[in-house]
Amino acid sequence: MSLQGLKKRKSEVLISVSPMGWLFIFFVIPTFLVIAMAFRSADPYGGIGEQWTLNTLKDLRNPNYPLIIWRTVWLSIISTAICILTAIPAAYYISRIKKKYQDIILLFIIVPFWINFLIRIFAWKVFLHPEGMFKQLLVTLHISGPDSLLLYRPEAVLVVIVYSYLPFALLPIYASAEKFDFHLMEAAYDLGAGRLQAFIRVFIPGIRQGLLTAIIVVFIPALGSYVIPDIVGGPSAEMIGNKIAQRTFIDRNLPHASALSAILAFAVIIPSALALTRRFFKEKNSGSLGI
Amino acid sequence: MKKVLLAAAAAALSLLIISCGSKKNELHVYNWADYMNPAVIEKFEKEYNCKVVMNYFDSNEALYAKLKAGASGYDILFPTSYMSKLMFEQKMIQPIDHSKLKNLKNIDTKFIQKGLDPEMKYSVPYMMTFTGIAYNTKKVKNFRASWSMFDRADLAGRMTLLNDLREVIGAALKFNGYEYNSIDDKELETAMNTVIKWKKNIAKFDVDEAKRGLSSGEFFLIQVYNGDALQLISENPDLAFATPAEGTTLSQDDFVIPVTAKNTDLAYKFIDFMLNPENSKTNMEFVYYLSPNIPAQKLMSEEFLTDPAINPPKAVLDKSDFLKDLGENNSKYSVTWDKIKSSN
Amino acid sequence: MKRSRFPFYMTIAILVFFYLPIVIVFTQSFNASRFGGTWKGFTFDWYFKLFSDKNIWHAFSNTLIIAFSSTAVSVVLGTLSAFALYKYKTKLQITHNILVYLPLVMPDILMGISLLLFFVSLKLELGLFTILLAHITFSISYVAMVVLGRFQDFDYSIFEAALDLGATWWTAVKKIMIPYLMPGIAAGGLLAFTLSLDDFVITFFVSGPDSTTLPLYIYSMMRHGSPSVINALSVIMVLFTFVVVFISKKLLEVKE
Repeated sequence: MSLQGLKKRKSEVLISVSPMGWLFIFFVIPTFLVIAMAFRSADPYGGIGEQWTLNTLKDLRNPNYPLIIWRTVWLSIISTAICILTAIPAAYYISRIKKKYQDIILLFIIVPFWINFLIRIFAWKVFLHPEGMFKQLLVTLHISGPDSLLLYRPEAVLVVIVYSYLPFALLPIYASAEKFDFHLMEAAYDLGAGRLQAFIRVFIPGIRQGLLTAIIVVFIPALGSYVIPDIVGGPSAEMIGNKIAQRTFIDRNLPHASALSAILAFAVIIPSALALTRRFFKEKNSGSLGI
Repeated sequence: MKKVLLAAAAAALSLLIISCGSKKNELHVYNWADYMNPAVIEKFEKEYNCKVVMNYFDSNEALYAKLKAGASGYDILFPTSYMSKLMFEQKMIQPIDHSKLKNLKNIDTKFIQKGLDPEMKYSVPYMMTFTGIAYNTKKVKNFRASWSMFDRADLAGRMTLLNDLREVIGAALKFNGYEYNSIDDKELETAMNTVIKWKKNIAKFDVDEAKRGLSSGEFFLIQVYNGDALQLISENPDLAFATPAEGTTLSQDDFVIPVTAKNTDLAYKFIDFMLNPENSKTNMEFVYYLSPNIPAQKLMSEEFLTDPAINPPKAVLDKSDFLKDLGENNSKYSVTWDKIKSSN
Repeated sequence: MKRSRFPFYMTIAILVFFYLPIVIVFTQSFNASRFGGTWKGFTFDWYFKLFSDKNIWHAFSNTLIIAFSSTAVSVVLGTLSAFALYKYKTKLQITHNILVYLPLVMPDILMGISLLLFFVSLKLELGLFTILLAHITFSISYVAMVVLGRFQDFDYSIFEAALDLGATWWTAVKKIMIPYLMPGIAAGGLLAFTLSLDDFVITFFVSGPDSTTLPLYIYSMMRHGSPSVINALSVIMVLFTFVVVFISKKLLEVKE
């Protein structure tokens, strides 16, 4: 290596060391700690066993877990699908109006999400209250009976997850749509494509990047949901996050909490790491990075 | 811009340092919600020129796990006696120094003979509680004082059980004619099946939100501690409380001082203050629980002392059990609880 | 070809969906009923209760302390990280890249439990300090990402030209790079600040008895306290948000 190369190398290390070191200490080590803890056993008093064991992981085969994991996955998939399917037409509409109006609508979309996360969920609790105005409206319209409950069921969790993450789907899709060249649509019409056909075969592929980002930013946090099912979900709407919290805060079983966390971590980290490495190599020479 | 950021950082760091340095006279209390009269706490703050910081938990297990998971810095906790015993055995709480509590003589020694710490080695009794059912008389037709109410499909979605494994599994054990502290696998399985059946009818397992929900009309019938129910009834006359005929749990909640307490002196002063008859009376009038404090009880009205929802009659006492610590068998309960929570 | 009205209706539906619960909270904040539910008359009581609650202000000041300090640290670390990722394309940076991106996809609850285990095994006392460490950790990545976005359009040759003209490396950074990056740094800092203000899950895991932040306090009130007071608090926070947005928009317009 040339002297200059060596010098460059030295400054690279100097610059990278503090952020990398920080993330190594406070992100990598704790994550491995969780994984390691999954190989320990718990004593009945909440302590952590000294020996390494596979029993904690074997416990995960307990027939109750697949049910919760399955529920977590399908709730996340459906909420992601709803977010994407509603965000696409809205992003399409917003990107086609005048810039001035675009800004105003975007502002109106973003502002509610500067309100504290818990308060937004709490608003749904108030909104769906069985003696509340919305419920009374449903009863008057004969959509629901007077004694039915809107809260504490998986559907309520679904609605609130959609509510919480829809803007995160809307913004990247809008960003792609805004860059989309709408002349392509007209070209498709000229070539005899129908409105829907042009939309699906031209517009959707055109905003692929935005869709991908939207799926990631909705699906992953939905998988890790804990507060939403905790507040608006009932006994039939528990997700993995609730189980992790229950193991940590009630059952005094940290190894079990860790085993569950490790599964969740692998489910999100491995695909993301692979995608990132590939992208880095692909764009190494083009000089642009980022999601 | 940079200057603004720097200034902000400097301000924040100095605030951080100040806030760390200035908490000499603070008492950190980890308590159940609605379990102490705020007026009494304010009086204590004035008298000792300090600040009481309250944090809340909603089950003994949650309290224990929080401490086991590393939480430190609480000065006083309020576990139920079976949990106090476990915490003492686990060396998580300190022995009580009787010489620092001049009001300890007020405690009803006959009452605590029946408890788990008759010599008050590590705990001082705070209140006596039991579990029952509170319901909305306008909405619940044909009420029967029985745990079988949770079988009522017409109330489906409008009932709650406590988010507490010992209380819920215990109620189901009692419903099936067993004891609260059962460690028999067969009995536990029967109880589990009962709770799984009940679970179809309940909106959620909850402690404090359930109380708010009963009051606001969200829920019609909840499993609840007696004093909490009376607090709700005092504000909403449509509500009523009943003790299930099958029997229930009796609990004694204690003052204990964790080994990690930072302000042990103030903690003793706090306990002693709460044992003072006058303060104990003000407290009882607010929380509607009975304190085993003889001079304080003398100050209470006849009506309060004879209320079956505050001072359970002998018939109820005979059918009910004190919760015990089950040692290694605790895990039987958490396994059962898990199956209940994840069943369909 | 006539345009479909469907996208328009969908946009309106989404906006209604976003604001409906907030409107209900507004009306409920004036409902005299203590636990919400049916309308029991108009009152300002909850607002009075809110302003007389000392604990809220204590929690609020804790929140601000954490938000300011974690923003300050994460802005520095995040900017350094963005610089390294932009400038060097080596194997080390591949690792660095993954390290920066993973916290973004890590669910909050996992970060919460892993940091809790970590702090406990180090025997660190849970409190403001551990919350601060946690907030810095999740903020770094966001700052790095935003600043990196700004770097994409940075013309490095200007920087090198300055060096050729005899500027020291540090002067070039101070006079050329930082002013250019400032909008990105400010945006990243703002993002970190907002995330810190809003975080509940991670804070919940690593907090101690005296480190109640505003979100923790709100949660505790929701679970154990008076929901009506939270309605009032929500209204104040919503109004505050609107005012801040409005003012910053006006300021930007003046600048432009």
